[in-house]
Amino acid sequence: MSDLKVFRPQGMLHEGWSAQVDDYAIVCGWALEGETLVVGDVAGGLYAFDNIDGTLRWQQSEVHAGGLLAMAIHPRGSTFATAGQDGYVLIWDSIKGKTSQKLKPGKGWAEHIKWSHDGRFLAIACSRYVYVFDANGDEHWRSPEHPSTVSAIDWSKPNELATACYGRVTFFDIGSDIINQKLEWQGSLVSMTLSPDGNIVACGSQDNSVHFWRRSTEEDAEMTGYPGKPSQLTFDQTGQFLATGGSDQITVWNFQGNGPEGTLPGQLSLHPEQISSLTFANRGPLLASGARDGSVLVWFVDQNGDGNPLGGAFLGERVSGIAWHPNDRSIAAIDAQGGVSVWPFKIRSQAPQKDNS
Amino acid sequence: MSIQQKVPVTILTGFLGSGKTTLLNRILSEEHGKRIAVIENEYGEVGIDQGLVINADEEVFEMSNGCICCTVRGDLIRVLGNLMKRRDKFDYVLVETTGLADPGPVAQTFFMDDEIRDEFSLDGIVTLVDAAHIDQQIGRSDESSEQVAFADVLVLNKTDLVSTESLNTLEMRLRDMNRMARVIRSKQADVSVDTVLNLNAFDLDEVLKRRPTFLEPEYPFEWTGVFKVDPGRYEVSLDEGPDPTMSIVVISDQGTDESSLKEGAETSVRLYAEPALSLAPNSIIPIEKHVTLQLQSSGRKSFIVEATKKGTIGMFTQHTAEEFDIKVRRLERPTEDAPENQNETSAVSIDTERVWVAEHEHDDEVGTFAIERSGNVDPEKMNAWMGQLLAEKGVDIFRTKGFISYEGESRRIVFQGVHMLFTAQPDQEWGNEPRRNQLVFIGRNLDEEEMRRGFDQCLI
Repeated sequence: MSDLKVFRPQGMLHEGWSAQVDDYAIVCGWALEGETLVVGDVAGGLYAFDNIDGTLRWQQSEVHAGGLLAMAIHPRGSTFATAGQDGYVLIWDSIKGKTSQKLKPGKGWAEHIKWSHDGRFLAIACSRYVYVFDANGDEHWRSPEHPSTVSAIDWSKPNELATACYGRVTFFDIGSDIINQKLEWQGSLVSMTLSPDGNIVACGSQDNSVHFWRRSTEEDAEMTGYPGKPSQLTFDQTGQFLATGGSDQITVWNFQGNGPEGTLPGQLSLHPEQISSLTFANRGPLLASGARDGSVLVWFVDQNGDGNPLGGAFLGERVSGIAWHPNDRSIAAIDAQGGVSVWPFKIRSQAPQKDNS
Repeated sequence: MSIQQKVPVTILTGFLGSGKTTLLNRILSEEHGKRIAVIENEYGEVGIDQGLVINADEEVFEMSNGCICCTVRGDLIRVLGNLMKRRDKFDYVLVETTGLADPGPVAQTFFMDDEIRDEFSLDGIVTLVDAAHIDQQIGRSDESSEQVAFADVLVLNKTDLVSTESLNTLEMRLRDMNRMARVIRSKQADVSVDTVLNLNAFDLDEVLKRRPTFLEPEYPFEWTGVFKVDPGRYEVSLDEGPDPTMSIVVISDQGTDESSLKEGAETSVRLYAEPALSLAPNSIIPIEKHVTLQLQSSGRKSFIVEATKKGTIGMFTQHTAEEFDIKVRRLERPTEDAPENQNETSAVSIDTERVWVAEHEHDDEVGTFAIERSGNVDPEKMNAWMGQLLAEKGVDIFRTKGFISYEGESRRIVFQGVHMLFTAQPDQEWGNEPRRNQLVFIGRNLDEEEMRRGFDQCLI
């Protein structure tokens, strides 16, 4: 009996508020320094909810003909961008819910959008091209044609953009319009994430593996054995842990020391179905996860990449997105039936008697 | 999580100019009560507002292991992944491919990707064939023979541009390559929607209902006639037919029930394997010998069969009786005092006849064959054999369909596969039906004998 590790609750998801949007909710994000939660549904509905009680601040419908595909909140939070099947990218005012700019980068779906960390540029992936627009809504840079549709983009440095497509990850210097680095591997890369220092690039692959490279050495490694596609990838802000989905367990790779090559990953098991959403908190070793069955959990990840669940909730439908509040004191989750839930999140300190927050 | 039915998907293939767009338009404009999402290839030109029409780039992605069986359509995964979130908007998906597309990666996408597999089910593959041009295309490109091989339905289109005779030849050729597909003829892709949607193409029972002889083995003869005889001489006469010679085996005491007929057929197959004795008209046909009748001379020709006792004789002929207008008449026993009796005859009518699936030359590398065996199979042996077969020959096996009977399982196990990917799942209850197994393979240069032997070793 003494071997049994009894789970000791250290935190929990408190009842917050919930709301409903009209269709499958696919994107959510915190704007206006966390005062407003913006949610987008697949049909192109946009909704802004008050952080405190979920009051609907404004609402727009069918903002993209054919449907919404992506949303990105500007780092300063006063504006955000949406992209859709109509090929347009719209820039919105977060307070009023009105568009200020309408960009049409290229042909085909506008599928991925990312603001640069300083907020000066917006990168847009459209079919096999990536475009960078500036604050005036002018095209600043355009990539050469990729060999296949671009599946993910991210900013690695203020002036450097990473793109993933079938068979390769490319780093473009958008200032001098040159390719800084090209990492190749024959496989269909479906998602990409960069470590906070930008040295590690990890991709989820169609053939149920995670492939990653260290940019400094160009060494790469492949993590196999996932039963499904590990398209959910998230680094903690120290860059030590990479949490991945692709199964009903969360697999956490530890990049400290010689790892993760040749090491055993941490495994967080509690979700009854496959992980559908995964994101580390802005600070601290806290990981939020959602699954296809609607379960939402928050984990405390320990030094080995193992972890304990701190709190959980159940949405009843496939969790399609999770967003930590900028202050990490609440999380928002959206689901396939248009459900929106926000839970204040509290961590008990090591010595509860001193907790006077 | 709510349990929803998987959305059925039809894949529409065919060479450029075969009429895919016409068919697509017809399907979309017809009143059938289905809301169809269409995934068009990048050159598609469907100008229809209704329903969801999405363009896709036909991006074929090979996996790092380089195996063609793991090759999928990356764009389809993206598009279907998005459609999945809009399930309330449609209840059917049609995927149109370009003429040059290999259907393999499209079909494999529905097996390889776990999320797509959970939400969509491949209902069937429809291949449009331009009757006027396919003959040249099949010879020239692998894609067109693969499109034929993969099909559940072959729409032989533009039949108005081709003579009936060449249509028949073409249909024979297509059936040779893919004996499982249903062949439909049309002029301007004017086929009814029911024949291309909701096919449940993987239901072998449906295939058998349409073509009951589908699983039968091929024989070196096409026809058997059984005649009741008394001791005496009988004349077998033949008119001019399509060939200058015809092989025959005559068997005495041939039974008329199905199992006796099959027994006779097996005996005849063995006899047909022996060298033939060439016989000129008016000769006596020996019993249980492989004989070739010389039929070059004009007009009706006669041969003699001698019956030694009362009973039956069976004739297993290379061609059907109809083709040569085969007739049997009793000749009166000629006596020394009345030799003219030789010409006094009375017609003997056929007691029982049966037509067999004739074996013929297979010109194309692509072909179909079926394994049918009664009894149960051992699941472990079956898995080992299937696994090895598909690992070694998966590249050349385009489609696998069928059902098998596992010992201790009350339901049929239904198989379907594309290249080396396959699924096996329990289906209807066997009930009192005798346990049996049917497996059909369509592929290129398959070693039929070896595969049959392999399957037989899985039987308990």
